[in-house]
Amino acid sequence: MPDVRPQDRRPVPFRGGGFRPHPLPWAGPAVFLVLLAVWEGAARAGLVSPLVLPAPSAAAAALWSLVESGRLWLHLSASLQRLVIGWTLGTAAGIGLGLCIGLFSLARAGLGPVVAALFPIPKIALLPLFIIWFGIGEGSKVATLFFGALFPTIIATAGGVDSVDRTLIRMGQSFGLPWRDVVLKIVLPGALPAILSGARISASIAIILLVAAEMIGAEYGVGAYILLAGNMMATDQLIAGVALLSVMGLTVAFLIGRAERWLLRWRG
Amino acid sequence: MPRIARRLLARLVVSGGLAVALGTAGLLAPAFAPSSASAAEDGGADRVVVGALRFTSSAPIFIAYERGYFADEGLDVAFSFFQGAQPVAVAIASGDVDFGLTALTGGFFNLARNGALKVIGGHFHEVPDHEGSAVLASNQAYDAGLTSPEALAGHSLAITQVGSSFHYMAGRIAEAAGFPLSEISLKPMQKVGAMIGALKSGQVDSMIIVPHIAHALDKAGAAKIIGWVNAYAPYQVTTLFTSTRNVAERPALVERFVRAYQRGIADYRAVMLDQEADPAATDEMTRLIHQYVYTDRPYDKAAPSIQAGAIYVNENARLDVGDVAAQVRWFQDQGLLATDFDHTDIVDTRFVEAYNVPD
Repeated sequence: MPDVRPQDRRPVPFRGGGFRPHPLPWAGPAVFLVLLAVWEGAARAGLVSPLVLPAPSAAAAALWSLVESGRLWLHLSASLQRLVIGWTLGTAAGIGLGLCIGLFSLARAGLGPVVAALFPIPKIALLPLFIIWFGIGEGSKVATLFFGALFPTIIATAGGVDSVDRTLIRMGQSFGLPWRDVVLKIVLPGALPAILSGARISASIAIILLVAAEMIGAEYGVGAYILLAGNMMATDQLIAGVALLSVMGLTVAFLIGRAERWLLRWRG
Repeated sequence: MPRIARRLLARLVVSGGLAVALGTAGLLAPAFAPSSASAAEDGGADRVVVGALRFTSSAPIFIAYERGYFADEGLDVAFSFFQGAQPVAVAIASGDVDFGLTALTGGFFNLARNGALKVIGGHFHEVPDHEGSAVLASNQAYDAGLTSPEALAGHSLAITQVGSSFHYMAGRIAEAAGFPLSEISLKPMQKVGAMIGALKSGQVDSMIIVPHIAHALDKAGAAKIIGWVNAYAPYQVTTLFTSTRNVAERPALVERFVRAYQRGIADYRAVMLDQEADPAATDEMTRLIHQYVYTDRPYDKAAPSIQAGAIYVNENARLDVGDVAAQVRWFQDQGLLATDFDHTDIVDTRFVEAYNVPD
């Protein structure tokens, strides 16, 4: 090791920062605002015809007239009710079936292929059947959302159970924990992150299916409103309705984020 | 929709660019205009695309084509077939189709309001002495007392979509019967097939439908005819329409098209509105129509449906302007259309005789 004279010593900066993202809370809203401003400007200047793409202000006006007439609440409450019932039932059933598939060999061997066969079927294609089975009332709409939420939840839950640390389970079993405690205290908490990210996906799928579910026999609902706007070629209302769906998606994502933080607080 | 948007966008960009080019090089403008006009109005066959539905009600246009009336006018007509009224209007707005022949709907009026379309002639019209659309009740609702359209209040009625012609007819019946439309529970089913299914299974109490389907359902015992729309509203159901660009830039071509179409209507009216008069001619015309309508059925099975579906078509494509105005007002009253326009913005009466014109 040759001696280095003190005057030759150079300070070495830390170079291993990688591409570490740091929070920039202003960037998201700023991009949104710039996009809206360009869009509005193009519409105001007459570069884009209102038929091609209505100005954001026109869509906002359509939304406001919806608020003023009180129909916003009618549409929202109808859709939210379908969404809450369909998604909750679908998620509950999905978690139950997913746990069974994850825990029992018989369920895994028996149900696994059924799930794989039914998941890719577009629920919109089954709508006519749902109508015959559940009627043109709320039944067929809730059923569409139920089946939309069911399969992704089953797959996420079963996958979550599979990815729980085997050594933890073996340790519990070695220490003589009863089966019930192994499931409730090790498997379920371990699978929870996967179940919650499955819930994000299934909630988004349920919102997507809302428009399809409200195609038949729906007088009110955000999906029915969007379909009406499309029928009427009222593009400003169409954009307003789509914005409503986006807000619903954001709200659901926020709520699930909150639930994640609370349910996974044990991770520290 | 994206394709349409792109086309309209492209056209805007092109026309914008053209305006700039003409603005900066004003000298070019005079040389430009005549050459483009003469290309469009050239003596050779002009190619036009007609958007139509495979219904017997579209027959006059098939007759005009098969009997060479379009060719006589120097028009090379191609058909583009659609499943519903709305897409035809959208296709004309996007420039994919030149002429359309379908029912007036709320979406149509909104496209016309935005300056994309003009109504230029009349077609199917509800008239008192000729069968048009029928009101049907499900067997269950009929047994429970729904035996006339006046009793529709408190019942459900299947329609294709909000803003469709079925929605409008329900509104006019409610108006004539003296109760608000909100007392009928309208069930949008998207498709006529789904409407029929819902009526047969009793999931909806009633619907409105063209005569040949109504008779078939009634005869099969699947539903009951309880009334006819023509008793409630003289109604200009379908019209001939084209793009605003066509009437503005190629009026001579539109005139030639309408002339050929009127000859098709004359032939249709002479034979199909009185089918007993000359069975041989009726048979011949039914065979002609069969090339376009019910093509999946053998002729013997298709003929009765085609003949029963021969609804009333206005002579010489006359247009009931007063009723078009009433329809616009009705959709505006329902809050489905903006109130900043009326029928004069969407109708061009230069091509056919207009009647019942409001003051």
